[in-house]
Amino acid sequence: MNLGPWDIAMLQWMINLLIALSHFLFNNFGLTIIIFTLIIRFVLLPLTLRQLRATKAMTTLQPKLMELQKKYGKDKQKLAQEQMALYKESGVSPAGCAIPMVIQFPIWIALYQAIILVLAVSPEALLNLSRYFYSWALPLASLPMNNNFLGLNLAEGNAALAVVVGITMWVQQKMVTPTTQDPRTAQQSQMMLWMMPIIFTFFSLSFPSGLALYWVVSNIFSIVVQYFVTGWGGLNFSFRRGSKESGSDRDRKLKKRLAVEEAARKEIANKSSDDAEKEGIDDGKSGDIRENSGGSDQKGSNPIKRWFGRG
Amino acid sequence: MNLKRNRKLLIKLSVAISFLLIAAILLTGCVSGMAPIGWSGVSIGNNGMAYAGSKEGKLVAINLTNNAVQFSDALKIPPATGLSCASSSGSSGSACGGAAPAVAIYGDPAFVTDVPIIGNTVGNIVVVAGYNGVVIAYDASNPRTIVWQYPINGYLKPIISGVTVSDRTLYFGCTDKNVYALDVTRGIEKWRSTLGDQIWSTPVVDNNLVFVGSFDKNIYALDAGSGNKVWSFPTGANTVSTPLLADGVVYVGSLDRNLYAIDEKTGQKKWSYPAGNWFWAKPVIVNGVIFAPNLDGKVYKLDINTGKPVADPSDLGGQVSSWPVVINNQVIVATQNGKLLSLDTANFSAGPNLISSIVQNVSAPLAAVGSIVYINGPDNNLYTYNISNGAKTTISLKQ
Repeated sequence: MNLGPWDIAMLQWMINLLIALSHFLFNNFGLTIIIFTLIIRFVLLPLTLRQLRATKAMTTLQPKLMELQKKYGKDKQKLAQEQMALYKESGVSPAGCAIPMVIQFPIWIALYQAIILVLAVSPEALLNLSRYFYSWALPLASLPMNNNFLGLNLAEGNAALAVVVGITMWVQQKMVTPTTQDPRTAQQSQMMLWMMPIIFTFFSLSFPSGLALYWVVSNIFSIVVQYFVTGWGGLNFSFRRGSKESGSDRDRKLKKRLAVEEAARKEIANKSSDDAEKEGIDDGKSGDIRENSGGSDQKGSNPIKRWFGRG
Repeated sequence: MNLKRNRKLLIKLSVAISFLLIAAILLTGCVSGMAPIGWSGVSIGNNGMAYAGSKEGKLVAINLTNNAVQFSDALKIPPATGLSCASSSGSSGSACGGAAPAVAIYGDPAFVTDVPIIGNTVGNIVVVAGYNGVVIAYDASNPRTIVWQYPINGYLKPIISGVTVSDRTLYFGCTDKNVYALDVTRGIEKWRSTLGDQIWSTPVVDNNLVFVGSFDKNIYALDAGSGNKVWSFPTGANTVSTPLLADGVVYVGSLDRNLYAIDEKTGQKKWSYPAGNWFWAKPVIVNGVIFAPNLDGKVYKLDINTGKPVADPSDLGGQVSSWPVVINNQVIVATQNGKLLSLDTANFSAGPNLISSIVQNVSAPLAAVGSIVYINGPDNNLYTYNISNGAKTTISLKQ
């Protein structure tokens, strides 16, 4: 009744589903939020996986992109051409990271708007909720929802749950934060790694803890999915090499390892160039990193191609 | 170089954070009524004054001779129990709307005559209950003078129910699950009766019985002298609406989408009628027919004895949450989508007549004196419409 397109397309069905679900979950709204969040996240799983795979592929390409940047930094047109060629060859689309996220974003927004509406934290909110009911018989006996869940009042902010939101978000962010040689990017990544959890912790304190519960469940789901797709990612060093290493120690080791790899790559490149000269063959591509790339991108063993071949 | 780079980073970061903050605030609860605002109606005194709760958390007295605000007083904001709009405390709008913090007032003020005010001086008082959990009695001739308040110190849980006065006793329900009875002259508690869950419905009194709906899915009859439970009637869901009493029958709607008629003495069901959505507003009875507005946007017209429809429901095209009034044998209804309509009580099959377009989202109960209907709008204005001659006035309650 007097609902806008967004309400009809996104909120109405979610709200009715939440209410119906709570009926089968012992009128426990905390449990309903958990199950409902998991259902939505499972439905969106194909998009999430696609996004994670694309992000992983982009991360793997980072060293090559950096090299291209160094090589063609002054010639923007050539740089763009080479980057496109690299993307094409690797089967990676830069839009592949963003599009699934853009598609999921409205659903996430609708999900927590629906949770807020069903929580009905004020008399106006309860009255407003009635606009969203379908005409078929809904189990309305539980409305407004019982907001108590494991001793929490889901309609009020909760400091402990807000901290859990921050921690889970930090872990999730840490897993997706790429290790990079570019100090500016590294600094930005570090900022985002800390700012996002801080902001969401603040939001969790300010908004009903039912929302915080949604964020916690959603974050844990993301962590699990990311673990199976990309492994521990940015958490590698902390978990595998012991947590006593400081960030700067790790950075120094990473730089040292990358320097060794760089030297090895140059050596291989020089050697193959000498061999070609000796054989009187020069195909003019001896400096092209697409042909001479070192590390994990040896011919026939491109992990990106293998990954996408699987997907 | 580093300084320049850091500056750029700082700017980028500031933009990102600002965007995130704005997006989150716009997209989440603050746009969805998370903050309690209030929907107090208007109480008309016999002293030529009208009293209303404003959206700024004030009791406002309006002189009806010149439609000017004569006095106002702000209800006291309790200490904050939360950081912002998620809080269930009495303050509202502090973090969400950017407006000044204010106590939401949901129930109509009650005008009570012949009450000792100072010493032996007898006068009129106006009593209002706030979302801050305090009931205050003001001198009706000067709402800046507090005659009494309950509780004297501290706060109850938020009060959404209105107050009812009968036989020098004031009754109200509270979200702390209690129905309270106070001596209306001094504000001293006579009794309190604890029910199963919070109470939003305004109690009504008849034949020494207090009738009230609760969130524990029951309608109760309590002894007006002691607060003891006389009977309870189970419904399928919580009850928000205020019961209507007529000829020994309690008519009350529930969130289970049914309107019930219950025998006042025995608590036995006479009939029930299902509708498309919640019954929120208090119905009215005219010529043996109950006009019951529903949140499905229709007004149901049922025979009060049998509960059978006497005509098809009138589809108003918008939800009705405010209580209708009867003027000149017409039922006057305000819809959430901004229409003031009249329903003919002589010809039940006649469709609704549009009186005027009004402000949207009216939830406050309508009030009427003679042929004038009073609407306390959600925009902090009090509107009057003369049904007979179409004259309109707008009185700003902003102070």
